[in-house]
Amino acid sequence: MLLDYDRMGWLKVALLGFTALVAAFLLLPVIFIVLLSFGSSRWLAFPPPGWTLKWYQELFADPSWLEAALTSARIATMTALLAVVVGLLASFALVRGQFRGREILRGLLLTPMVLPVVVFAIAIYAFFLRLGLGGTTIGFIIAHTVLALPFAIIPIATALEGFDKSIEDAAIVCGASPLEAKLRITLPSIRIGIFSAAIFSFLASWDEVVVAIFMASPTLQTLPVKIWGSLRADLSPVIAAASSLLVGLTLALMIVTALLRRRFQT
Amino acid sequence: MSVETQQSVATLRMPGGLGGLLPALILIGLFFVVPVLALLLRSVTDPAPGFQNYAALLGDGTYARVFFNTFLVAAVVTSVTVLVAFPVAWMLAIMPPALASIVFGVIVLSMWTNLLTRTYAWMVLLQRTGVINRALMATGLIDQPLPLINNLTGVTIGMVYIMLPFMILPLVGTLRAIDPMTLRAAALCGASPFQAFRRILLPLSLPGVAAGGLMVFVMSLGYFVTPALLGGTSNMMLAEMIAQMIQSLLNWGLGSAAAFILLVVTMALYALQLRLVGVRRATGGV
Repeated sequence: MLLDYDRMGWLKVALLGFTALVAAFLLLPVIFIVLLSFGSSRWLAFPPPGWTLKWYQELFADPSWLEAALTSARIATMTALLAVVVGLLASFALVRGQFRGREILRGLLLTPMVLPVVVFAIAIYAFFLRLGLGGTTIGFIIAHTVLALPFAIIPIATALEGFDKSIEDAAIVCGASPLEAKLRITLPSIRIGIFSAAIFSFLASWDEVVVAIFMASPTLQTLPVKIWGSLRADLSPVIAAASSLLVGLTLALMIVTALLRRRFQT
Repeated sequence: MSVETQQSVATLRMPGGLGGLLPALILIGLFFVVPVLALLLRSVTDPAPGFQNYAALLGDGTYARVFFNTFLVAAVVTSVTVLVAFPVAWMLAIMPPALASIVFGVIVLSMWTNLLTRTYAWMVLLQRTGVINRALMATGLIDQPLPLINNLTGVTIGMVYIMLPFMILPLVGTLRAIDPMTLRAAALCGASPFQAFRRILLPLSLPGVAAGGLMVFVMSLGYFVTPALLGGTSNMMLAEMIAQMIQSLLNWGLGSAAAFILLVVTMALYALQLRLVGVRRATGGV
């Protein structure tokens, strides 16, 4: 009974034990980094000789960290906004349109997710150097929107496929204009997809390292570029403090997502 | 619905078909297709027209080592990831929902945590004086610190860590879709658990394993961040070499050619995956 949870006997114990080990492996670096950020050893000795908040003080004393975080937040917010709007329009056409080559266009729009980022990074870097967009906020937003678009299209198109179009048609038959029906009936129904699209495209930009390394200028650095630079210089515990704050942000995002999902579903 | 209203609804359906694709196509066309094609052009024109960049890349032992190393790492990472992910996905597919949601929570937390944060944690954990080496030495298993970082071991650990969620999550879907009755039937017919696993569960989950494994392999081939931070200089991977050619050596011709080779290999494997599972499954169900 290999797929019957209650009748697997010793095999279940072994597999559950293994699953717990893998979960611990996945959790280990995240917990470790948070503990490390409170440890007093500059050389990252663990377990630390004592506990301290000085790495957080150092982090906040250096304005370049906050500046990088704000730059990242600005670029990621704009990216999420653009990717959701463009992705929403594209998803309607991809799910509902009936034209030749639909599958090919779908594949094309999702290619940025598959192509190794380093290839896109040097391509767009060269292109923007010529256009004079290298190291600009606009350049960052455009490049990140290209990368985020598949992450916006996938959840929205999935939600749209699960939505019964006859409800929208019913609204039109009852006198709503097609646009009105879409705005007041369809969009609220697929809000889980739109919401997931916003989160995923935000994260796609917020976490993006490779394009950012090429595009960054001394005056425009995103948070990953700042961390990358510090990592290459040394393994200072200040990075652990910054990382812990990012873990906190991830947890907050997960909780908000879970709460919203629960509310949407009831 | 009467025929008449059906017709009027049908006419209403027409507008907004292709027009909605326009912004996305402009964005992808102008800022993805054009730059990538321009890069390809550069690989055969910089510094002079011809294929000398490709000849240099394919004829030199140093570059051959990088190509070999890239494939080796991707193959090792994929194998380990599949082996570790399968039992976990199996349990997740049949666990009580409350327990499963805890494990899913851990997976999502690890997946959503900043990539550099996770890599930084492994850099500290794996270093010579890191926790793992000290713990192993304290238990008396080793008396010299193991070289766990700046080599293949470090890259493999770090990459498997990052790839696990991408393998586990789709595999849970595949395993959930298998009808438990098939295994009950096998047991009734006298199959031992091992036989049932080898002849029923494994073959039925193979499409999911192949699709996930191929995805992990493709992602590993072009991965930049983790190999660059956890790997050593003597076993560089392709993505890092490309970045270095452009950023440090400013050799655009050679860098573009290497990038194009990576692109062709990736796209060929992606096409194989599409044939294996179809566009929808390959891209997560769109």
